Amino acid sequence: MSKKSRSYLTVLIVFLIAASLWYLYPSIKLWSMSDSDKQALKTTEPQDLISLEKKALKLGLDLKGGMHVVLQVDQSKVKEDERKDAVDRALEIIRNRVDQFGVTEPLIVKQGNDRVVVELPGLQDVERAQALIGQTAQLEFKLLESDENTKTILKKIDEVLAQKKETPFKEEKPETSKVKETEEKKKIAQDLFGKEKPESTSDTTDTSTFLGEEEEEADREKPFTSLLENPGGYYFEVLIEDKPKVDLLLNDPKVKEVMPPDNEFAWATRTEVIQGAEYQKLYLVKKPMEFSGKYLLDATPQYDQYHKPEVRFTLTKEGGRRFARLTGANVGKPLAIILDGRVVSAPTIQSKIRDTGVITMGGAAIFEEAVDLAIVLRAGALPAPVKIIENRVIGPSLGQDSIRKGTLSGIIGFCAVLLFMVIYYKLSGLIADFALCLNLLFLMAAMSALHATLTMPGIAGILLTAGMSVDANVLIFERIREEMRSGKTIRAAIDAGYKRAMSAIIDSNLTTILTAVVLFQFGTGPIKGFAVTLSLGIAISLFTAVVITRVIFELRKEYTTLSI
Amino acid sequence: MLELLKKTNIDFMGKRKYAFIFSGIMVILGIAAFIAIFLGKADLGIDFTGGTVLQGYFEKEVTIGELRAAMSRNGYDASIQSLHRELPHYFLIRVKSTTDDVTKIAEDLLGILEKEFPGNKYHKDSVDGIGPAVGKTLQRQARLAVLLAAAGMLIYIWIRFDFRFGVAATVATFHDVFVVLAIFFILHKEITLLVVSGLLTLVGYSINDKVVVFDRVRENLRLFRKRGDFITTLNISINEVLSRTLITGITVLFSLLVIIFIGGEVVHDFALALFLGIIIGTYSSIYIASPIVLEWEKRAPKRFK
Repeated sequence: MSKKSRSYLTVLIVFLIAASLWYLYPSIKLWSMSDSDKQALKTTEPQDLISLEKKALKLGLDLKGGMHVVLQVDQSKVKEDERKDAVDRALEIIRNRVDQFGVTEPLIVKQGNDRVVVELPGLQDVERAQALIGQTAQLEFKLLESDENTKTILKKIDEVLAQKKETPFKEEKPETSKVKETEEKKKIAQDLFGKEKPESTSDTTDTSTFLGEEEEEADREKPFTSLLENPGGYYFEVLIEDKPKVDLLLNDPKVKEVMPPDNEFAWATRTEVIQGAEYQKLYLVKKPMEFSGKYLLDATPQYDQYHKPEVRFTLTKEGGRRFARLTGANVGKPLAIILDGRVVSAPTIQSKIRDTGVITMGGAAIFEEAVDLAIVLRAGALPAPVKIIENRVIGPSLGQDSIRKGTLSGIIGFCAVLLFMVIYYKLSGLIADFALCLNLLFLMAAMSALHATLTMPGIAGILLTAGMSVDANVLIFERIREEMRSGKTIRAAIDAGYKRAMSAIIDSNLTTILTAVVLFQFGTGPIKGFAVTLSLGIAISLFTAVVITRVIFELRKEYTTLSI
Repeated sequence: MLELLKKTNIDFMGKRKYAFIFSGIMVILGIAAFIAIFLGKADLGIDFTGGTVLQGYFEKEVTIGELRAAMSRNGYDASIQSLHRELPHYFLIRVKSTTDDVTKIAEDLLGILEKEFPGNKYHKDSVDGIGPAVGKTLQRQARLAVLLAAAGMLIYIWIRFDFRFGVAATVATFHDVFVVLAIFFILHKEITLLVVSGLLTLVGYSINDKVVVFDRVRENLRLFRKRGDFITTLNISINEVLSRTLITGITVLFSLLVIIFIGGEVVHDFALALFLGIIIGTYSSIYIASPIVLEWEKRAPKRFK
């Protein structure tokens, strides 16, 4: 090694160390922050935290927690020539939905011909995400059944069920009385605060409750309606515990017989908590689809002048014409927005709507609900149904556990290797250790710079890299020892050691990189992480274990003894 | 100078018959395990078969037996594993499935837990649901990866060394994979995606180990061209690189041992496969790879350049 190339290399090494530290600085800063620090920064300088998170080394789902979902687009119902398009549109729609979650760095990619992979790192609200992503059915608008007809239908259902003279709910009396109890409380609350009900701004009209005057003996005569509560409007509220019973009754063949062919019951998409009890709304809708989601152009959530959330939507030209006809003929009636057979919302038509309209949310609604409704409206219907065929959710606590175990095993393994080298090869071992530490530094920095993701198998890959890097030095040092034994001068032994060990080092590293590449090709998430750290690490180790150690050995001109 | 081994002069080649017998038995077992995997008889992980795994903890004490009974009452043949976490009553519940609707299975399982253990809430930590269709894809990819890796190695060594060395190194490497498979089969260990990745990593490490030995053989063949026979050259070469082979093996094994003991469940079997593989790989570098070249040379002599 000439003096000139040595000084060039020294400059290069110093530069690389500086660059690595620069790339790693955001990670170090972010990781050294406590949760409360982060929270503080989030409130004062949210932009800073976001940019810090963007620049820091990314942690995989297995370390950070989050969700990994693979969706299959069912193309059997799509025409041949629309198949490719169907997957692309599904991808776009899913991306559109996911983007609105505000998850940092979501991953949405097509896999094969008919699959879409969605990865949402650090996501907490998994159920909400799954519901939004997996939504498959058409978006439909249907009218609700009128008050009068509803009463008749409910009466008929009660009659046939009472006729069956079955008393399957006798034993579950305590639960039914709970309904009554909450009802009682509600009545008291109503008395206290007057007739106004806070959640009845847009989607309710004032009707008397069906159950209002019913007394305890109703259970027998009214096996169905006794399970329903009607706080006024075109829907009933069902205690979440009673939902299976209601479903069972609705599936009863006798009940099906008396149901008018044009009507069906539909549950609301989500449950709600009213005075400590969890309810789900049940609607009686008219079967014919009045309007389809395909006519929707856009929908955005916003606040009205009273700072209540609402959703503004725009329709296509044809949609506007159809909607005007529909709304014009049904002013004052509620129109259910139905997705996947479940009612998302049932706002009342206030006036004739043409191209643009506004859906006001209930007074108790939070802005998030408007956001979700807008997402549903905007994304409309997926062109082809999608099915979740792979679903992995890693809780944050499990991720924490993995981080701890990963770091701990990493540090112990790493220190053991360092210690071994110093004991076995003395000062030369220390040089190899220095190279190994630089290897780790460069590897982490390279991963930050390439926006790679660190996973648990990735940590295993780093450890294996350390092993490989040490192997290169072992090969060199053993060779130097051999050359010294054969009577060469130390200087000559070092030269020969490096020269002769090279072919074995290059061959062995290239073959390992070859497997890493294969692993990368075939692997999914975590395995890819392993392949990335392994191949990057080995490439870097060629530089650190061979070039850097050589430069250090070259620092001394003459060797009379060598600590090896 | 601290030395693990003084200059050795062991007749490795002389013991090749015993090595061939031992390895032959292990490889036959490994191939049996391999066939069992293909026939679906072996314990394949849900990555390959499709299924759902729940991880989480109960608030109050529950035994594995109770959990299993509760699952089977509801028509699920579940395998339950108790995990050691700082949280008490931590369980891993695993069911294999044939339906692609993975969200439904997870909901089902959670529903069953809620119903069967009222008043003792199960807090789920993670859910892994894989549909059989995904499993099939992964199986196909795993097979392809093994073949690609093997072909890549063979071609690389063929170019860098010689066809015979290439075949010997590839055969010895496959031997390592089969022996680890045999051990996993005997231990009733599940073959998961991570275990397959561990085996692929082993392929990389193992071939690397053989290359180092062959590299020295190649060098010595040049040196001893005029004198000495092939068998002596092989023995000398192996003795010369022996301390490197052992030191590298030991350092890597040490790292893996740490991962096995404190790395957690995610990487445990991966590290175990690699740990076993490196022991076997070191053995086969010495006792299998070179003897294959030797036997070949004896049957069809060819002057190595």
